[in-house]
Amino acid sequence: MGEKILPEINKVQRHGLSVLFVHWTMALSTMVLIFSGFGQMPMYRRYGLTALPGLGWSADYSVTLIIHYIAAMLFLLAVFYHIVYHLIRKDFDILPRRGDMKESLAIMKSIIFGGKEPPCDKYLAEQRLAYAFIAFLVFAISVTGVIKVMKNLPSFNFSGNLLIWVNDVHTLASMLLVFGILAHLAAFVFRVNRPLIAGMFTGKVDLDYCKHRHCKWYDRLLLKESCKDRE
Amino acid sequence: MSGLTRRQFLKRTLASGVAGGLVLSGGVRIAHAASATDVMGTLYDLTRCDGCIGQKVPLCVTVCREENKSRFPDPVPAEQIQYYWPNKKKEDWQGKKHLTNRLTPYNWTFVQKAQVEHNGKPLEVFIPRRCMHCDNPPCANLCPFGAQYKSPEGPVLINKDLCLGGAKCRDVCPWGIPARQAGVGLYMKIAPKFLGAGVMYKCDLCYDRVKKGLEPACVVSCPRKAIMFGSKKTLREVAYKRAEEIGGFVYGDKENGGTSTFYVSSVPFEKINAALKEQKSRQQDPAATGFPLMQAGVANFLDSANGMVAGMLAAPVAGALAAGYAAYKTMKEG
Ligand code: HEM
Ligand code: HEM
Ligand code: SF4
Ligand code: SF4
Repeated sequence: MGEKILPEINKVQRHGLSVLFVHWTMALSTMVLIFSGFGQMPMYRRYGLTALPGLGWSADYSVTLIIHYIAAMLFLLAVFYHIVYHLIRKDFDILPRRGDMKESLAIMKSIIFGGKEPPCDKYLAEQRLAYAFIAFLVFAISVTGVIKVMKNLPSFNFSGNLLIWVNDVHTLASMLLVFGILAHLAAFVFRVNRPLIAGMFTGKVDLDYCKHRHCKWYDRLLLKESCKDRE
Repeated sequence: MSGLTRRQFLKRTLASGVAGGLVLSGGVRIAHAASATDVMGTLYDLTRCDGCIGQKVPLCVTVCREENKSRFPDPVPAEQIQYYWPNKKKEDWQGKKHLTNRLTPYNWTFVQKAQVEHNGKPLEVFIPRRCMHCDNPPCANLCPFGAQYKSPEGPVLINKDLCLGGAKCRDVCPWGIPARQAGVGLYMKIAPKFLGAGVMYKCDLCYDRVKKGLEPACVVSCPRKAIMFGSKKTLREVAYKRAEEIGGFVYGDKENGGTSTFYVSSVPFEKINAALKEQKSRQQDPAATGFPLMQAGVANFLDSANGMVAGMLAAPVAGALAAGYAAYKTMKEG
C-alpha cells in the first residue's frame, strides 16, 4: 500500500499498514514499559499507588517484571520491523536533513504567531527532529534493556561498573523518552497538526491539508503519478 | 518501485538484519571478560556447630561485629531522621546496635536455634545465618541503580555510596537478608524527605580479607571448626560427601538457583524450616525481616523472567522477517 493521491475521495494515502502497525505497537508497548519500568523502582508502594483501587499489584516486582518483559518483546519486534521495513524499501523521508533546526523554528513561529509556513515535505522538519530524538532514545533503551535481560540470566555476571552504566543509561533515557512523548502529544494541542491524527488511524489524510501543508510531498506524488501515466 | 531484483532484496534484508543483530551480540563479548577468578564459598557443618554453648554471644557473631565495626552505618542522630514521606515510618537501628539475635544493619550474622524431633528424639540445631552469596543473586541483578553486584570472587556486594535504600533487594531475596538503616548514604544529599530511605547492609563475606587471601573472620573464629572456607566447587563436593557420611542433607546448593553457602545437617531442612516458621509466628511481628527461614528448594525470583528469554530473542527476528515479507509484498504491488 504505497502513498498516492486518491482524488475520488479527496484523500491522500499517507501511511501503509506497516507504519500504522509499528506506530501503535510502539505506542502501546512504550506506555506499558514506562509504567512497568518505573514499577521496577521501589516507589509505587511508598507513594501510595498501590492504595488505588485495582492497582494493588503495581508494587509487586514479580508482576511488573513479567509485564516489562512481555512489553519489551513487542517493543523489540516493532523496532526491528521498522528498521528492516524502511531499509528494504529505502524510505528515508523521516530522517533529519540539513537545515531542519532552522526550518522547524520557522514552522513553530508561524504556528504561534501566524504567518506562512515554509513549504513542507511528507514530514515537517520538527517531525524529522522528533523522530531522531525518539529513535536515539529507543536505541539506547533497547541496547541497555537487552543487556539488562542478559544480566538476569545465570550464565552472565557483569562487572559492577558496567551495571551502573547500563542501569543509569536505561533509566535516564526512559525519563527523556517520557519527556519526548509528552512533547509529541503536545504537538496535537495545535489544531494545524490534528489532521495527522486521523492519518495515524486510517492511513489517509485530507487532500486539502496535504496540498496546503505538505506541498513538496504533494508535488512529488503528482510527479510520480504523471510518470506512471506515461509508462 | 518495481526495479528490485530478488538478489538486491535479499542483500538489503541481510544488511538490515545484521545491523539489528549487532544490538544483541555487542554485549556478549563484555560478558566473557568477567569470569576468570575461582568463586569462593563456605560450608556450615550443622553437626558441629553448638551455638557456642556457654558464650553469651556466639563467637562468629562477636568476631563479625568486631571485624566490620568500622563499616557499620554512621547515620545522623535519630531525631534528625525523617519519616519516609508520605508514610509515618522509618527504619532506624542505631538505638538497637546491641541486638545479636537477628539481622540488622549492625549485625550481619546471627545464630538461630531450632528445636526439632529427629529419629524419635528431640534435638537442638544451631544455624548461623547471613547472606548466602547466591550464584545468580536477584538482589544484585534487580537493583535499579546497579548498586549491587556479584564479585568475581563470589561475594555479593552492596555499594554503600550508591545505595538509596529502596529495599528492593530485600524484597526479592528469598531470605530477606539485606537490612536497612535510615539517615545515611546518598539520599541524604538529595531530597531525604521525599526520595530514598537509607542504605542496605549485609555480610560481604569479609571481601577485603578474601581479596588478601585471608579467610572470613567468622571462619577463623569458630572453635568447633564448623565453618569451612574454600573454592565453591570443592566445598560443594565436600558438602555432599559429608551429607552422605551422616545420612544427612544439604541446603544452599539448589536453593535460589544455587548459592556459594552450603549447610549440611543430619536433620531434613523441611523440619528445620517448620521449627523456624513456628518460632517466627510467635514473634511480635511475624512478617518482619531479619529472621530468615530455610525453605527447602526455594526458587529464584528471576526464574519466570528468565524463562521468557527465548521469546525475547525471537521477537526481533519475527519483526525483521515480517517486515521483510511486508516490504517485498508492497514493493511488488507498487
Ligand atoms: C520505552 C521503553 C522502556 C522504558 C521506558 C523502560 C523503563 C525502565 C525503567 C524506568 C526501569 C527501572 C530502572 C532500571 O532498572 O534501570 C526499567 C528496568 C528494566 N528494563 Fe526497561 N524500559 C524500556 C524498555 C525495555 C526493553 C526494550 C527491555 C529489554 C529488552 C527492558 C528491560 C528492562 C529490564 C530487564 C529492567 C529491570 C529489571 C531488571 O533490572 O532486570 N526495558 N525499564
Ligand atoms: C496516544 C498516543 C499517541 C498518539 C495519538 C500519536 C500520534 C501520532 C501522530 C498523529 C503522528 C504523525 C504521523 C504523521 O506524520 O502522519 C505520530 C508520529 C510519531 N509518533 Fe506518535 N502518537 C502517540 C504515541 C507515541 C509514542 C508513545 C511514541 C514513542 C515511542 C510515538 C512515536 C512517534 C514517532 C517517532 C513519530 C514520527 C515522528 C513524528 O511525527 O513526530 N508516538 N504519532
Ligand atoms: S542471600 Fe539474598 S542478599 Fe544474599 S546474595 Fe542471595 S539473594 Fe542476595
Ligand atoms: S559457627 Fe562456630 S562460632 Fe558460629 S556459633 Fe557455631 S560454633 Fe560458634
